[in-house]
Amino acid sequence: MNDLLVLLAVALLGTSQVLQKLGAARRLAGRRAPKEWASALLSPELLGAFFCLVAGTALWLFVLYGMDVSRAFPFLSLTSVVVIAASRIFLGERVPLRRWIGVGFIALGIALVAGS
Amino acid sequence: MNVRRPSEEFPRARARLLGAALLAASILLSAAGQLGMKAGMQELHAAEAAASAAEAAASATEAGAAGAGTAAPGAAGALAPYRPALAWTLGGLAAYGFSLLAWLAVLVRYPLSYAYPWLGLSYVLVFLGATHWPRLMEPATPMRSLGTLLILTGVALASAGGGAAPAKTPPPLPRKPADELLENKDL
Repeated sequence: MNDLLVLLAVALLGTSQVLQKLGAARRLAGRRAPKEWASALLSPELLGAFFCLVAGTALWLFVLYGMDVSRAFPFLSLTSVVVIAASRIFLGERVPLRRWIGVGFIALGIALVAGS
Repeated sequence: MNVRRPSEEFPRARARLLGAALLAASILLSAAGQLGMKAGMQELHAAEAAASAAEAAASATEAGAAGAGTAAPGAAGALAPYRPALAWTLGGLAAYGFSLLAWLAVLVRYPLSYAYPWLGLSYVLVFLGATHWPRLMEPATPMRSLGTLLILTGVALASAGGGAAPAKTPPPLPRKPADELLENKDL
């Protein structure tokens, strides 16, 4: 149960990162005027990023309530795995072999920590 | 054309120092934030245990006194045990928030592929803090230690050495109108 909540929290926090990146690229890049920034912050991307961040953090606190932080925190590295896979699948980026090897290490490490 | 060249050496050394300080701050603050939030949740456990014990005691005296107006111990008194939990949690959240801000400032200065591997250090710091801070003292099981080391290795492998984005060294700029260069610089 708690493990599912960790995964959900990680998914929310990861989604927030992707949305932040999208928002920065689509709404913030090249804008200087404060007025433009304000409207960018209210864009769906950045509002969504904010919501995911708040919900993910609240859930994270709930997770920490019932789990050692030395077990919960390593799960956060799952976001890099997901983001790398997503950038290959959805964005068509080339992912070098060394990066996949790194992803393998991360996944193995998470498996060990999760089993502890 | 009078393009003002800032004296190169001194500002560059200072910028490097600032970048390193921001990177260190974001790593340390993110680890501190996790440990602080965990400490807060642990205090919450303690406060709940204390509250339910107090409740049990109160209902026991109430039963003994046959409901003779035992005044409820005021809202402030009831909330007092939760104060350490709130303080640690808010402190942890603040550290977490500042670490995010510092990270943004880091990303402005460094390519992600250089900066990200350093974040792996926070796994080590959280692990050491969680297992050695007297407040937490979580068990350092061999599986957990080894798993943390593997993740650290994986983060370094996955992110080091650039990637698709060839942003290692900015290529020598072709001669461009000076005002355009300046425009790019004042970020």
